[in-house]
Amino acid sequence: MKINVVKNVLEANDARATENRKKLDDAGVWCVNITSAPGSGKTTLLEKTIPALNDEGLKSTVIVGDLQTTRDAERLGGLAVEVTQINTEGGCHLNASQVAAALAGLDLRGLDYLFIENIGNMVCPAGFDLGEHARVAMLSTPEGDDKAAKYNTLFQPADAIVLNKIDLTEALSYDKTRLFDDLKKINTAAPVFELSCRTGEGFDAWLGWLRAKQTR
Amino acid sequence: MHEMSIAVELIRRLEELAVEHGLLRVEAFTVRAGVLRGIVPEALDMAFEEAARGTVAEGAKLTLEITPARARCRLCNEPFAPTVDSYLCPRCNQADVEIVEGNEILLLSLEGASTNED
Ligand SMILES: Nc1nc2c(ncn2[C@@H]2O[C@H](COP(=O)(O)OP(=O)(O)O)[C@@H](O)[C@H]2O)c(=O)[nH]1
Ligand SMILES: [Mg+2]
Ligand SMILES: [Zn+2]
Repeated sequence: MKINVVKNVLEANDARATENRKKLDDAGVWCVNITSAPGSGKTTLLEKTIPALNDEGLKSTVIVGDLQTTRDAERLGGLAVEVTQINTEGGCHLNASQVAAALAGLDLRGLDYLFIENIGNMVCPAGFDLGEHARVAMLSTPEGDDKAAKYNTLFQPADAIVLNKIDLTEALSYDKTRLFDDLKKINTAAPVFELSCRTGEGFDAWLGWLRAKQTR
Repeated sequence: MHEMSIAVELIRRLEELAVEHGLLRVEAFTVRAGVLRGIVPEALDMAFEEAARGTVAEGAKLTLEITPARARCRLCNEPFAPTVDSYLCPRCNQADVEIVEGNEILLLSLEGASTNED
């Protein structure tokens, strides 16, 4: 017996993502899903961003995906925010059910932002909606100048792009022309924030973007 | 290896449909995936084989169709086919697109032995 159907294989994930977004909308929490290769500086970005927002009275919470360890959660735990760790046990991306489970344990009242640090991976997270309001694709100067072209399924749907570690530009003779040329063909809508989590250079524009997104 | 999560979700859908249609076993099924999903067919085969063990879909034959991407320019509405490394609108030369097709993963059909047969 042959049965014809047209069924969205990821319908469970997509439905859960929609529920997550609704829950965040109702609570007035704006959610960013940050994806990059391991080591681009996602955790460091959050270590710098969250206190800066907090100084302005904007409260955040963090969900951090990690393959095995709790290292990132421990680092972020030093900030005065609640950090929820999702251990994917080898899973290469977060999914909406994991985020739903994390949200169930969170009191969203009084919060302005939810930052989700996805698993360090430039391919797999792109296909899984978590219920975020914006996707941030991140890369850093030591990774070379061809990443946007190679991983365009990450950079094409991104709402913002962060180029981190610009403090190393000279030491690495990093030429951003190639990156920007590639982005002209992949995504001309997303702002690109060139910054350094080490020196703080470029942070104002990034924080300004986040501030403008929280509109309540 | 996002193929593993896709395989796991596939098996869930197959299990649901098998119950709904009274199938004892799923023997074959067809999946259509958009090229932007970056599915490696061999990797999906392997992931499926492993994840299907002990389920109604164990040993089932997977046929995978990869469909090309289609986009629409958000600025001028032009529909066009993006290439592997370019989402440039041929009309206004900007890359601000809505992906119309290319991200889907659809289960199209399944075959198996039903409880009412033989
Ligand atoms: N030079 C430099 N190093 C950085 C910068 N941002 C992060 N790092 C370093 O890069 C490494 C990886 O950062 P981490 O935040 O753990 O990356 P993640 O894997 O994306 O979370 C750490 O050693 C950071 O100290 C930066 O702007 N400049
Ligand atoms: Mg990290
Ligand atoms: Zn156009």
